Amino acid sequence: MNGDFSPLHFGPDELDAWLAGVRAPELVGHVSACPECRELVRAEEALIGQLAALPLYAPAADFGERVMASVRIPDPFAIRALQGARRRLLASRRSVAIAATVAVVLLGSMAASAAWTLANRDTLLAAGNWLAGEAGRWAWVGLRGAALNLIEQPWFSGFRSLVDAPARLAVASGAMSLMYVSGIFALRRLLAIPTQRVAHANG
Amino acid sequence: MAPRTDLAARTDQEIVVLARAGQEAAYRELIRRYERPLFSLLYRMVRDRELAEDLAQETFIKALNAIESYRPEYKFSSWIFKIANNAAIDHLRRRELDTLSLEGSPHAETPEAVEATALQIGDRQESPLDAVEARELGGQIEQAIAQLRPEYRSCILLRHVEGRAYEEIAEILGLPLGTVKTYIHRARNELRQALAHLRE
Repeated sequence: MNGDFSPLHFGPDELDAWLAGVRAPELVGHVSACPECRELVRAEEALIGQLAALPLYAPAADFGERVMASVRIPDPFAIRALQGARRRLLASRRSVAIAATVAVVLLGSMAASAAWTLANRDTLLAAGNWLAGEAGRWAWVGLRGAALNLIEQPWFSGFRSLVDAPARLAVASGAMSLMYVSGIFALRRLLAIPTQRVAHANG
Repeated sequence: MAPRTDLAARTDQEIVVLARAGQEAAYRELIRRYERPLFSLLYRMVRDRELAEDLAQETFIKALNAIESYRPEYKFSSWIFKIANNAAIDHLRRRELDTLSLEGSPHAETPEAVEATALQIGDRQESPLDAVEARELGGQIEQAIAQLRPEYRSCILLRHVEGRAYEEIAEILGLPLGTVKTYIHRARNELRQALAHLRE
């Protein structure tokens, strides 16, 4: 053993090796012959033991809940749907090619549209004004047509004479309201679920 | 949803996959696994219970909300310890603390604040006498750790309290392997000297 004795004291590497359990003959020889290094390894081993024995500390009991209250958990259904769509999309070369084509067409048309819009602002403004004017004109023509059509109806003259006499209008309105309310009551009665037990219903 | 007992048997990487799939139980399992190690490391780094809880909470929220960015080729523990250590070092750079108090924060100004910031030791079953002795010895070791430079403190805690490999510590702290080894040797030397009276 003494033939393997190393005259040099333990450096960090030798100490690490010793603490990791390496018992090379020259290390063992040196430790047994050198009281200084023997004391060093004993002190280091004791220190490491004390450090390893230090307790784990616990946070407050509601710590986990407080953390969870601030954590954003992804929606599993959305993730599954997304993964399913991705799987289907990447299922074959053909589906990948179709998806790529659609993406290129969509992105290309969006980019072209944006570019054209930026380059032709005046044209777009003029077209917008023309469309607004046309829409207004057609709305007016439609309204006039509908009014003329209404006036030409055979019942319109009777309706107009009724509106001209407020008393008759009030009577007609009252009668119509009464009919409406009566209709509602009748409908409720028809749709009501019977609450009385029917005799012999259970056989 | 995987039951809790099933989750406990799975690796961190498997739990992360379940968390990414939106399983709430997987998030809870990650918190359960790391709340004590992270809180202990942070407490020993900043030496204030409330602050350590805040930093641990910040660490978990940051990690769990960014779980999509976690790369599974690295250990999850390295990733989350790195976030925690960065939080502690950032804090220590902003504010210097000098002494460790097992009885409560040195910054506590009222008896209630002292009690609120005092340590609560985890899951050890000890007799009252054992507890006092352990508290004395443990307290002196804690004091000695508290006197170390923050970089040495991180290294020694990760190596000898958490039992992490040198390579993992280098990854967590973003330091070269040689620097980590040097820091750990120097930290042990300082601790040996600070605790020499216990051996006599």
